[in-house]
Amino acid sequence: MDTALQYNQAARRASADADSENPMLEERAYPEETIGEPLVDNPKMSIRNVDVFYDRDQAINNVSLDIGRNEVVALIGPSGCGKTTFLRALNRMNDIIDTCRIRGELRLDDEDIYGSAMDVVELRARVGMVFQKPNPFPKSIYENVAYGPRLHGMAEKRHELDDVVESSLRKAGLWDEVKDRLQQSGTGLSGGQQQRLCIARSIAVNPEVVLMDEPCSALDPIATVKIEELIAELSQSYTIVIVTHSMQQAARVSHRTAYFHLGHLIEMNETNKIFTAPDHRLTEDYITGRFG
Amino acid sequence: MDKQHFGQHSSSQFNEELESIRDHMMEMGGLVEQQVGEALEALLTADSQRAERVLEQEKRVDELEITIDEECARVLALRQPAASDLRMIIAVTKAVSDLERIGDESSKIATMAITLAREGESPHGYMEVRHIGNQVRHMLRQTLDAFVRFDADKAVDIAEEDNAVDMEYRSAMRSLVTFMMEDPRSISSILNIIWSLRSLERVGDHTSNIGEQLIFMVKGKDVRHISVAEMQRELKDPE
Amino acid sequence: MATDRNEQAGASRLRRGLQKRYRRERRFRGYGLTAIMLGLIALLVLFGDIIGKGLPAFQQTHIQLEISWDREVLGINQVSEAELKQANFDALIKQALRERFPGVDARRQQHQLFKLVSSEAGYNLRERLQTDPELLGSTETVALVANSTVDMYMKSDAEARADDRQITEVQRQWINELRDSGELGFGLNTSFFTQGDSRNAEQAGMLGALVGSFYTMVVTLLLSFPIGVAAAIYLEEFAPKNRLTEIIEVNINNLAAVPSIIFGLLGLAVFINFFGLPRSVPLVGGLVLTLMALPTIIISARSAIKAVPPSIREAALGMGASRMQVVLHHVLPLALPGMLTGTIIAMAQALGETAPLLMIGMVAFIADVPQGFTDSATVLPVQVYLWSNTPEESYVALTSAAIMVLLAFLIGMNTLAVVLRKKLEQRW
Repeated sequence: MDTALQYNQAARRASADADSENPMLEERAYPEETIGEPLVDNPKMSIRNVDVFYDRDQAINNVSLDIGRNEVVALIGPSGCGKTTFLRALNRMNDIIDTCRIRGELRLDDEDIYGSAMDVVELRARVGMVFQKPNPFPKSIYENVAYGPRLHGMAEKRHELDDVVESSLRKAGLWDEVKDRLQQSGTGLSGGQQQRLCIARSIAVNPEVVLMDEPCSALDPIATVKIEELIAELSQSYTIVIVTHSMQQAARVSHRTAYFHLGHLIEMNETNKIFTAPDHRLTEDYITGRFG
Repeated sequence: MDKQHFGQHSSSQFNEELESIRDHMMEMGGLVEQQVGEALEALLTADSQRAERVLEQEKRVDELEITIDEECARVLALRQPAASDLRMIIAVTKAVSDLERIGDESSKIATMAITLAREGESPHGYMEVRHIGNQVRHMLRQTLDAFVRFDADKAVDIAEEDNAVDMEYRSAMRSLVTFMMEDPRSISSILNIIWSLRSLERVGDHTSNIGEQLIFMVKGKDVRHISVAEMQRELKDPE
Repeated sequence: MATDRNEQAGASRLRRGLQKRYRRERRFRGYGLTAIMLGLIALLVLFGDIIGKGLPAFQQTHIQLEISWDREVLGINQVSEAELKQANFDALIKQALRERFPGVDARRQQHQLFKLVSSEAGYNLRERLQTDPELLGSTETVALVANSTVDMYMKSDAEARADDRQITEVQRQWINELRDSGELGFGLNTSFFTQGDSRNAEQAGMLGALVGSFYTMVVTLLLSFPIGVAAAIYLEEFAPKNRLTEIIEVNINNLAAVPSIIFGLLGLAVFINFFGLPRSVPLVGGLVLTLMALPTIIISARSAIKAVPPSIREAALGMGASRMQVVLHHVLPLALPGMLTGTIIAMAQALGETAPLLMIGMVAFIADVPQGFTDSATVLPVQVYLWSNTPEESYVALTSAAIMVLLAFLIGMNTLAVVLRKKLEQRW
């Protein structure tokens, strides 16, 4: 019993020492380069030295990473760390914001995303997006899914359109639930169904990459499980980049995880590695809930 | 991950839970270390009362093992720990079962001490027992100390020390076998000594296992089933 | 023990405080209720007064006379445009009256006799003959509109009748005789709905004003709705957010608060004096009212566009729709109900507007129903204003009746706005 007490005292002394020295300050500084393995061979999208500014404020600071083919990449980090900004830079959704400027190189299959040869409409057809809040158009379920193909002239005839709608809804795992009420309003579905409808809508134009901005943050746990299931299935045929606040979700659905901190990409590695033994102190603190 | 990493969670309750697991683990370590020492003393001085106390303490050690396992399971279920927290929980559950085994081994030694005390002293082999016993006790103390301080480098020293213990154990075996061949009447008492040495050697192995868990906990690297040299390389390599 | 007492004291204080709070709440509700009751009472008094005064105007006194469509008396041979113009229809009426009351010989008395019938009754007969030329030569009983003095006399009670100085003693006898025989009675005031303005109260109608209002509103609607919606869409969806658009925004909001007579002056200066458009025509009236309605429409259209959730826009943009497609496919359909409601309310405002129209001369006396956008015309509220300014007592009822018609239109339009909103409103 005495020995046990001794150890406890030793432990307390040890932490007291460390507190006074505070060796952590240095370790919490941003690394010069992203830790881990942000780059892969033959990437679907490659991002090099990207900065994003809102007016004077820099939201993204010199981020370089690759997104592999048929890979699910999760972007995690505390609020305001720039992960959503980064995601929206990938299909130029930031163009809407007048004050937003982007510097650096973003490529989709070796084509410059911000280059003059890239048409933004075509880009958004190739890089689809699913938003945080389920936002189906206040139109029928059928019209919701058919909107994209119609917009891009991908399906001219009615039966072609029917096929696209059915296959998209099937891929989104929604067909069986809505096949008898395709003409009903998409806003009448439950939250989870609405989000799957939004996913069906974005995959109806057969994109190469699907960006998801916290797709489950407005959903209940059961609907969340369904969406995660769906992400796993979709990753067979699409490349997926997902922003999430739920670290468990990132751990469950993604192959690789990138940790953003105040606009810096701190660490990017295999999800397994990030969640069991991250290399950087900031990542560690965030993942274990020691942040702030 | 290093020593004063605790107490920084956003959830203070989580902090307390982890703190409690660590405190219990340390208490258990202290008890077990004490057990090993007492059992050794009992054997060397043929003190059966002291041996009885060791057996008595074994119950408290078992209780602590169950307590710690329950606490770890609760943290896993309620907090979904990740990274260092996760590694600590895993390391603690494994280290605890090693500690419990060490406790078992010291109970075995204590039982042996009772038998030897009943049958009368046998001078042969006590030297080896004292020597290896002290080495193992030192190892255990170092390991628990390192665990408190999250000192992974020390774990490598411990692994080296375990190799030394194994060597000592083998040479002791050889000399004890020689004794038995010289004096067949002492076989039964020397066998008891051998069992005790065997137990001490097992304590050393368990201790080095705890050291490996310590490395996993601190560095996130699995160093089981590899040589000390490889272990050192693993730890040096910053990747 | 002490804490126990403290708790008890705290609880009773809480209870006392609660009662006080509830009392205050009830009082607050009471204030609101009183305000609403006052408003309702004022409205009821107004409506009661207007309806009480206006209802009689929808009725009219008619005198049934035996009219023989005599060619000689009329002085024509056949029914034709040219001859009808010269025909003496008044003679027909005079003859019929003379036949009804054969004993009246004195010139003075005859004059009084003829005054029983509306001075414009001859026009009514002409129209009757015009629509049915076969009548020429035949004899029939026709209900002729009585003079407004007779009408007033008939509509007033016994006491007032005794005081009526506009009706002479002999006229009173004739009226009583005709009433007792059933030849004098009430009928529907058709001229109120079928005629333009007139100097004779019994012949004055509001069709002219109604048609004038209609033309004016058509001009206003056709101009203000597209311009307003386009401006709102540009400001909300396309305009960069800078100092210039901010100034424009503030000014639009200010315009909504500019007194309407200023718009009238502006219209007078710009449309009539500068562009040389004719005075008192629906076209200019519509232009002026457009200026007035625009701020309201723009503001309501902008708030309708703002109410479309940005998530819908993002979704469409994310699908690869262009800015214009986003507006046409999603924003406009969703904002349309709100825009329509705002437009209808602006139209209702414009319909009830008087002051700016006075400035551009739509206040003239116009007896004819306008035939187009460039005919001289007046509008409903101006008609009300004109009639209320007429000293003759018989116009009081007409004024109230016109107000009733105007109110009916306004309430109808506002109801339509509510119904439209309820029906087209999208939920998301």
